[in-house]
This record gives sequence, structure tokens and C-alpha cells, in this order.
Amino acid sequence: MCGAFDWKISSFFREGDLEMAEKKEHESKGEAVQPRIGVYVCQCGLNIAGSVDCEEVAKFASTLPDVVLAQYNRYTCSDQGQAGIKNDIKEHKLNRVVVASCSPRLHEPTFRKACEEAGLNKYLFEMANIREQCSWVHLYDRASATEKAKDLVKMAVAKARLLKPAVEIEVPITRKALVIGGGVAGIQAALDLADTGYKVFLVEKEPSIGGMMARIDKTFPTMDCSICILAPKMSDVGHHPNIELLANSEVTEVRGYIGNFHVKVNKKPRYVTKDCSACGECAKVCSIVVPNEFDVGLAIRHAIYTPFAQAVPATYLIDMNSCLNKNGVIVCDKCMKACERKAIQYEMQPETVELEVGTIIVATGADVFDPSTLPNYGYGKYPNVITSLEFERLINAGGPSGGRLLRPSDGEIPKRVAFIQCVGSRSDRNGRLYCSNVCCMNTIKDSLLIKEHWPETEIYVFYIDIRAYGKGFEDLYKRARKEGVVFIRGLPSEIKENRKTRDLWLAGENTLCQELYRMNFDLVVLSVGLESRKDSEVIQRLLTLSRNQDGFFLEAHPKLRPVDAATGGVFFAGCAEAPKDIKDSVTQASAAAARAGILMAKGKITVEAITPIVFPDKCKACGLCTKVCPYNAITLNKDLKRIEIAEAACGGCGTCAAECPFGALTQGHFTDDQIVSEIDAVTEHDADKKVVAFCCNWCSYAGADFAGVSRMQYPPNVRIIRTMCSGRVAPKFVERAFARGVAAVLVAGCHLGDCHYINANYQTQKRVERLWKKMEQSGLCKERLQLFWASAAEGERFASKIREMKTLVESVKPEEIEKAKKVFEKALGGA
Amino acid sequence: MPERIKHAPLDIKKVKPPKAEIHLIKNQCKGCGYCIEFCPKKVLEESEEINARGVHPPKIVDEDKCILCSFCSVVCPDFAIFVLEKKQEETKK
Repeated sequence: MCGAFDWKISSFFREGDLEMAEKKEHESKGEAVQPRIGVYVCQCGLNIAGSVDCEEVAKFASTLPDVVLAQYNRYTCSDQGQAGIKNDIKEHKLNRVVVASCSPRLHEPTFRKACEEAGLNKYLFEMANIREQCSWVHLYDRASATEKAKDLVKMAVAKARLLKPAVEIEVPITRKALVIGGGVAGIQAALDLADTGYKVFLVEKEPSIGGMMARIDKTFPTMDCSICILAPKMSDVGHHPNIELLANSEVTEVRGYIGNFHVKVNKKPRYVTKDCSACGECAKVCSIVVPNEFDVGLAIRHAIYTPFAQAVPATYLIDMNSCLNKNGVIVCDKCMKACERKAIQYEMQPETVELEVGTIIVATGADVFDPSTLPNYGYGKYPNVITSLEFERLINAGGPSGGRLLRPSDGEIPKRVAFIQCVGSRSDRNGRLYCSNVCCMNTIKDSLLIKEHWPETEIYVFYIDIRAYGKGFEDLYKRARKEGVVFIRGLPSEIKENRKTRDLWLAGENTLCQELYRMNFDLVVLSVGLESRKDSEVIQRLLTLSRNQDGFFLEAHPKLRPVDAATGGVFFAGCAEAPKDIKDSVTQASAAAARAGILMAKGKITVEAITPIVFPDKCKACGLCTKVCPYNAITLNKDLKRIEIAEAACGGCGTCAAECPFGALTQGHFTDDQIVSEIDAVTEHDADKKVVAFCCNWCSYAGADFAGVSRMQYPPNVRIIRTMCSGRVAPKFVERAFARGVAAVLVAGCHLGDCHYINANYQTQKRVERLWKKMEQSGLCKERLQLFWASAAEGERFASKIREMKTLVESVKPEEIEKAKKVFEKALGGA
Repeated sequence: MPERIKHAPLDIKKVKPPKAEIHLIKNQCKGCGYCIEFCPKKVLEESEEINARGVHPPKIVDEDKCILCSFCSVVCPDFAIFVLEKKQEETKK
């Protein structure tokens, strides 16, 4: 705030009897109170006053219905400005406040707070955006900008007259958390929450927690023994009084919403009770031999087994797929006879555990890329081509070879080892487009591990780029080069095997020296990338999450809410969100635990009062709204023939209200009649020269604001109506605009797939397509209805779209407008 | 764990499953076929020969596949089949 403050340069009072109004208010107690609107036109220094005649706008506002006070001032958002509003609310008994200033995305909370402090419900406040969407984009056309500002104020006043006070409901939050996935991220999140004092259910699909980290030998860059640092945490989880570990279990159903999730977990039987002391006598007598999945098949296990020595829970289990005792026939009871503690029960059944939790942390991890899809590397065909995960098991002292790096073909220790980077990463042809983040450092660590045990080994690393970006990573990279590891830029195009010796030939181009190479190796390690879990769509469906094009779960905001899901009360940790190393997984897990903890510490959340309002008498229980709701917040009660809304689960997009064909649903604070009143205000004069634009709050409205901030000039004939989501735009709004003779309508939303409300803008698309069809059938030019996707950063795109619309508006003939008026005549009724 | 298994287990040769010695008392068999039906490893099948009771007794297809569960002797109504473990010296031959 700078400069002198000219408070109340001028006020325009309307002939209105304060006492009368007061009387009325008392009579009806808030019901149908005559609105008394105060309009404040902000000059914003010269930001607005520079190209809009604020005095004229204020004068115009004072002529609008129900406006009892209209004034303009230099900075309405300043403390004095707010104090003035508060004072007027009391003095002039204002029951609606309209501020015409900057974007509601900027200062709506400020003014709402001021209203609340003066005892006015914050939902009785409305803003007209005459800075970002008027003065800044029409810098050199004062007359048109002033006209547009008047229109915008008129729209805001029209809406304000219909505003209703609303109370934000409070939803209690169950102080229990569910963590899905027991890798290092899930373990860390569960421990953090449990230590904070919340009850945690940790669900793990595998028989033991530990995940990928348990299989790795050493961690980079410090070369700590992986299982040595993980095992204490695993055992903490097993013993923690606040953690209930559900291993060998899968989440099958999630119902409810933030704070109140009902979760069903299918607990698969272990066939071994908790009495098991993990002595291992049973496995000794089991005659079934199958490859051990934990060792990637490099070691064997029996049908009764424990995945690895440090497993938590430590009890053994029977793999019924390989055990002989299937279908209730007990063929072999050797393990039962060998078990001294009588812990084996062949007849154990799967059970369904029902949980009530308030928050959910998704830590489902990632899969490893399968290189057998790349025929040029011969994985699966040549025994001495292995993946980095198999390498980890081979070099691990607890692994199948006792830490001796053996060639699978002959069990000899290799003299020449090659690492091939980016197998399944950074390629649109072979695998995935993204960088998997961990493989470069993993390879450097692996090469050092070999050098540590067998310093004479010659090691070559074939790479595209080495990405050693983290703390201590570059040092490790340097160390590897010092130790004699050779780095060659250029991936081999092919691997060929010598059938006799099983040695491997690598051929390719060294792109730094621009020469071809052909080298012989004893062992080739494919540094495989990470990819999203094959079954992640199950979790996606259960929790209504979204995934990016790479298949990983999408966070609510990439910068500022990186661990939150778009669905309330759900958080991400670890590789489920994107490939990351152990440190980042643990960091994110603690962050997710903290975010979940915030919710549970409060014990309740308030829900913005923009949730649907139902008119039960109009509802035909058709269930259309339940289908379009992105949050599954609406359920159809077939017995009572009505719908039920879980306010806390509702995201507030309003697409249900747009879908309802009977007008039985509307969105709070964005009601049908409020939006219609805005349309009517726009179309009162010169409708045939105007464009009505419906913009969603998060992307296209923000994009329009960005165009303003960047001072991108566009024609002043557009009037923007803000909705929370483009999915709120009901066909009847568009129809009404045309029926009132508007030249063109623009429906703008977030890009498909980027919707702030998961997928609500797909409904927008469907509805616009339906309208296009209708327009075509009635012989109207469908160009007059435009659908446009713009992100918050695409100000220039927005501006050029409006410029494009200007030429469109000019091409629309009066006959066409008249025709549209007739076609959509019906839309004028009701409202 | 969903990884594909592409390599043979390194320690597969170290496992020495006990070798079985299946004894059939062919003339005691009445040809009910229970042992053939219930063998989890499908070690037995019906033979062509006819025994003293005029039925087809089972024959051994692959003794190495037997894992000594002895379920055949449990289900045999006529005590016509039993399995013994081969002695270690014998397996070494």
C-alpha cells in the first residue's frame, strides 16, 4: 500500500429507507430479506483506474436494483478499505457485498473474511474481476473497458441478489490410518503415524513386508547394507502397539470419503498359525521344490517357506498353489508331523477384515521393467544376461550364491562385466519414455561392489547420460571412475552369444569418440527401469485416483501438494507416485504421514458450501448424477427412491447439477438461478456483439487471469462467468445465452486429463458435443459454440482464442441470431 | 512378487529329494483305480496286464516323480501298494 488514501471520494446513496429494511429483516428472519447490496469499485491505484472510469462504474452500480451503496476507492483490499466495508455493513445494514477489483482467485478470501468479521455470512460476498479480466487486457480502450466493467459489475450484482448464506458443514475424521503397501515407504509412513499416536493398519500383498529394499544388497551413495538398516524398522512395525500388520492381504473395497473410509481387506490364509516359531523343521521335510520369487527365481524354496530370513511377520506360510493339499484333500502331512508346536492348519480360510479409517496412504511401489520384450538384448535366451535386480540377489551375502557373483551358465566368477543403462527407460520405442531415476546410481554402486570383492574385474558401463544429481552421488561416480570402471556413451545395439563359452559380444557405437565397438564380456547386467504396478488400476478404481501417462499416480499439485491425491484424505508415498530412490521414498513417506496426521490431529474438516443442493420433490431417482460424480459422493437409495450425498467426499465440481434433467440438483453458491441471472445481465444490452465465456476456476479462468497479469490485449466483447469446473456448465445455460441473442458462447475448461475434479471435464465435452449436434440439426452454425481447453499457464492461448472469437462474432448475421433465439426459445422459461 | 523368472535356480542341484521305491502287490489289487486317481504327481497309470483277480493293476510310469507322500497306500482298500524311501547308497548309483 502506498500513496494517499482517498476513502470515499464519492458515495452514491440510493433512496432507501433503512428502517423499513430493518423491519422486513426482523419479520422474515433471513428468509426473503430484501437484498441491500453494497458495491465497492476499486481503482487499485492506477491498475484499474488507468483504463476504467471507476467513478462512472460506481455511478452505474448505484442504479442497479437493490444496490443501496456504491462507491469507488483507491485500494479496497487495504486495511482501511476493509474497515470501510465492515463499517458500512453495520451502518447501512448491508446484507450483500460486491467488490469490483482483482480476481477472486486473489482476494476473495480477504474480503470474505472482512464480511465475516462484520457479522455477514461469507457466502453473501461476490466479486467482479475488473482488473485481470478488464483493465489489464484493454489498456488502450478506456470506453470499452468501462462498458465491460459496468457489465461485470452488473453480473456480480445480479448474482449477489440471489446469494444465499451458507454454513460450512464439519465432518469428523476417524483417527486411524490405512497404509497400502509395506515397502520402505509404507513402513516409514506407518511408523511415523504410529509414533504420533494414531492407530495404523498396514496392508501388504506379499507374505512379508520389506518390499524392494529388502532384496537390495547395498544402498547408494553410502554403501550401507540395505537389509541391515531396513530390518530394525521392519521389526518395529511387527512389534509396534499402534500398528496392525495385515500381510498376505489385499484391499478389495473402499467406500466412504475423507475422514470416514470403510475398507475391506481380503486376508489370504497362511495355513500356519501365530504359534510358529520359525524353526524351519517343516520346510526341511517338504518335498515340493519351486523357485523363490524373493530371489527372482535364483534360489529354491519349498511349498512351506518363509520368503527371507528377516521376514516380518516371521511365521512360515504354505503356498497352496504348489502344495499337494489342494481342494480340501490332505495328501501329504509331512510338515504337520514335523511341526512341534502344531502350528499348521491346512483348512485355514481366507477372511475379510473390515476397517474404519480416516486417512489412506498409498505406498504400493513400482514394478521392474521386463527386458525380455527387447529381443536385441537376448534376456531370457542367454543365461549370462541378467537384470540389475538379479544382480542384487547374486551379490547379496544372504542371497542364493552367498554373495559370490556367479555366471548363471557355469557358476564361474566373471572377469569382464558390462552394465547396460536405460533398459526400458528414456525410449519411446523400447519401453518407457521417462527416466527411472535410480538406475544410474544403482549401477555405479554395483560396479563399486564388484570392484570391492574382485578388484581385477574389468567393468564397462554403457550409458546415454549418467545422472548423478543427488547428495554424494557425484563423489560416488568419481570414485567408480577412479577405481577403473570404464564409462562408454552409447548403448549397444545388440548382444550376441558365443554358444560354446556362453560369453557375450556387445556391438554398438561410442557416440563420444564416434567409433564402433565390439566387445566381449562374461556377464551382462541390464540396468532395468521402474514402471507402475501392473495392478495399480485396482487401487486407482478403489480410491478414484488419477494416473499420468506413465501410469504413476497423479498428485494434487506437482509443486505445492506433491504427496496429496486429488481425492481428499488420500496421500502418496514412494514409487507409487513416481520412480524414486530410498531416501526420497522415506522423505515422501514422512511427508505423507505428516499430511495425514494434520487431518487426524484436527479431528474434523470443514467442507466448502459449494456441494450439491437437492430438491427431493423433483428427483426421479434416475441415478444419472451418481454416474457422472467423479468422487462417488452421490449414492442412489433405490428403496427410498432418492439420492444421498456425502458432502465430505464431494469435490464441488457441480457436474451432477449440470447432468440432472429434472432440475432436482443444483450447486451451492453456483446455483442455476445465480448463473442464469449472470447470463441475463450480460445479454440485456448488445447481446449480439458479445461472447459469453464459461470458465472453470482452476485452469481457464486462471489462464484468463494470467493473460491479464501479462497484459495480453484481447477484444473487450467477452464476459466471463466463473464456475468451479467446466462440468458445471449445463446445456440450458448455453441454450439460454443463445435464446437471449448472444453472438457466441465459449465453454472453457482444463485440458482433458488435467481436470481439477478428476474427470469431470469429459462430461463437459459430451454435453457440448450434444449441443453441437442439436445446433446442426436446427440449422445453426455450430461454430458459435466453442469448446476450449486452456491451462492456467496458457494466457496467450486464451487471449488468441478471444481474438479468434471476435472475428467469429463479426461474421454472425442478425438472421442467425434471431434463428438461434427461436430454436432455444424454450430455455427462456423457468429460471 | 511379480517379476518373471528367467533363470534356473542356482542351488537346484544341491537339493536332493528323497527317492522313492514303490511296491505293488499286483495280485492283491482289485483295480479300483484310487491310487491312480489320487496320486498328486501322476506317477501311476492303469496297465495292460491282467492279474489273478482278473483286473488291470496299476503300473509305475515314472518312479522319480514320486515324492513319497504315501497317499496311495492310504487310499488303497486292499493294501496292495506301499512306498519306501530308497537308501542313500542306492540313489548315488
